[in-house]
Amino acid sequence: MNDRHKTISLALVIVVGFFPIVALARLIDAERPPVDPNIADENLYLNAKTARRLSLGFNGLAADWYWMRSLQYVGKKIIGQEQSIALDDLGQLNLKLLAPLLENATTLDPQFLDPYEYAAVVLPAVDVKEAIRITRKGIDANPNAWRLYQHLGYIYWQQGDFKTAAEVYGQGAQIAGAPSWMEAMKARMAAEGGSRTTAREIYTRMFEQSADDKVKDMAHRRLLQLDSLDERDGLHKLLVAYQTRTGRCPANWREINLSAPPVDPSGAPYVLNPGKCEVELGHGSEIIVK
Amino acid sequence: MAVDRAGTFWRITAIARNAFREAVRDRVLYNLVLFVLLLTAVAIFIGELSGGQERKIIVDLGLSAMLLFGVFIAIFVGVGLVYKEIERRTIYAIFSKPVGRGEFLVGKYFGLCLTLLVNVVVMGIGVSLALIYVNHGWDPLIVNVWPAVFLIYLELTILTGVALLFSSFSSPALSALLTFFVFIIGHFSADLNRWRSHSEAPARACCLARSITCSQISQTTVSSHPRRTAVRRRPHLSPRSRPTPSFTSR
Repeated sequence: MNDRHKTISLALVIVVGFFPIVALARLIDAERPPVDPNIADENLYLNAKTARRLSLGFNGLAADWYWMRSLQYVGKKIIGQEQSIALDDLGQLNLKLLAPLLENATTLDPQFLDPYEYAAVVLPAVDVKEAIRITRKGIDANPNAWRLYQHLGYIYWQQGDFKTAAEVYGQGAQIAGAPSWMEAMKARMAAEGGSRTTAREIYTRMFEQSADDKVKDMAHRRLLQLDSLDERDGLHKLLVAYQTRTGRCPANWREINLSAPPVDPSGAPYVLNPGKCEVELGHGSEIIVK
Repeated sequence: MAVDRAGTFWRITAIARNAFREAVRDRVLYNLVLFVLLLTAVAIFIGELSGGQERKIIVDLGLSAMLLFGVFIAIFVGVGLVYKEIERRTIYAIFSKPVGRGEFLVGKYFGLCLTLLVNVVVMGIGVSLALIYVNHGWDPLIVNVWPAVFLIYLELTILTGVALLFSSFSSPALSALLTFFVFIIGHFSADLNRWRSHSEAPARACCLARSITCSQISQTTVSSHPRRTAVRRRPHLSPRSRPTPSFTSR
């Protein structure tokens, strides 16, 4: 066999050999015993400053690596859950590595805006102080990014600090290119920060402005939740009116002149609870509970 | 004089063309195949992992690979440019023609720069095509990529010059190592600057340097007695102990 045939044969062996390796790796992953969740999350080996030094100028690529790692980290934890969870309600998943991963990504590439948005939406449920610190770091590195002020204002609004949220929206409104609704949001936040109308406005803008599909999906689900709350309030008024008239709660929907059970925005029928005299979400409903 | 200048230009061009042909014959440009495979794989598979950031990752990966492959070519081909000619003794055949040493060096340098230019242009086109594929059409980011490609090319030309410099008086292995260190130091320069502005080490270094200088002056003070003068001379090299003439000696 001459050299050329030898080279081709060896190359074929290498290429064909990849397939059993992949199959073997999958088999090992399937057979591997589950890791204790308390020790599964090892601390990152490199902090942000060290990672930046070691990247030798390939900062953008290293930042992308940490960004993808943070998505994989959160996604793996969500897949492990039996029920669906909202993206902004992940505090129960013990995401202790999320803040360091996003910190590394944003330190390596301070102009990479998506990690800041992720920090503003996902991180508050895990560590509010880190979420605020990372977002403020993004604002220092990108003074012309009005969207970061929107994210920071969202964090403060979620925490109930409407005064600070209003200030932040006001600062964001001053930046060239900021939309006019930022100024309107500042006024609304100061006047009625805790109202459902303000929440609807925030999530509507988030849905319109975000480029991230997961954030859009989260905002859409929150808007459906607000619609459902409005519908349940309306149905509750009917129940209270019936109770005032007859002295008891209606036993079924027909007693309040509804031929069929009303459905929530996700398409699942509401459930009437005569004991508590309340309208509740059905079992198959996809509306976020809290 | 004008004729000589024109002749210089053509001699340099001939050497540069030859250096380019040598690089192609050495299959240097085959790294483009690996680059294209890498970029194709990233463009197809990265979508699900990147959270909507495929474009940024393609640009970052493409430019990083361009720099990395270019550095390897600049170092490993650059240190061999002159050394190989000396090793094979073909350099005597070249200098038996009316070709100056400077013309030879500049021609070799431009030949490798031409190889690197072809390399980065093809890679830049690859990145642009990957962006078009991912964006399903024209992407304005393509326009912003080419200034970065140009600056990467400039960095590679500087590195080629450094490799050529080291290879003119050192072995290929050491030249490659030193050139690589220059590359590392260059990329560390931002951190070095940051350390300089944040630390008091420079002030301490100055004091230390001053104290060393003062102590050296006091030690080498010539005493009044001529026999106690502690001046040493370098040993004179006999003709037999002189090293083999390198390219830089006349």
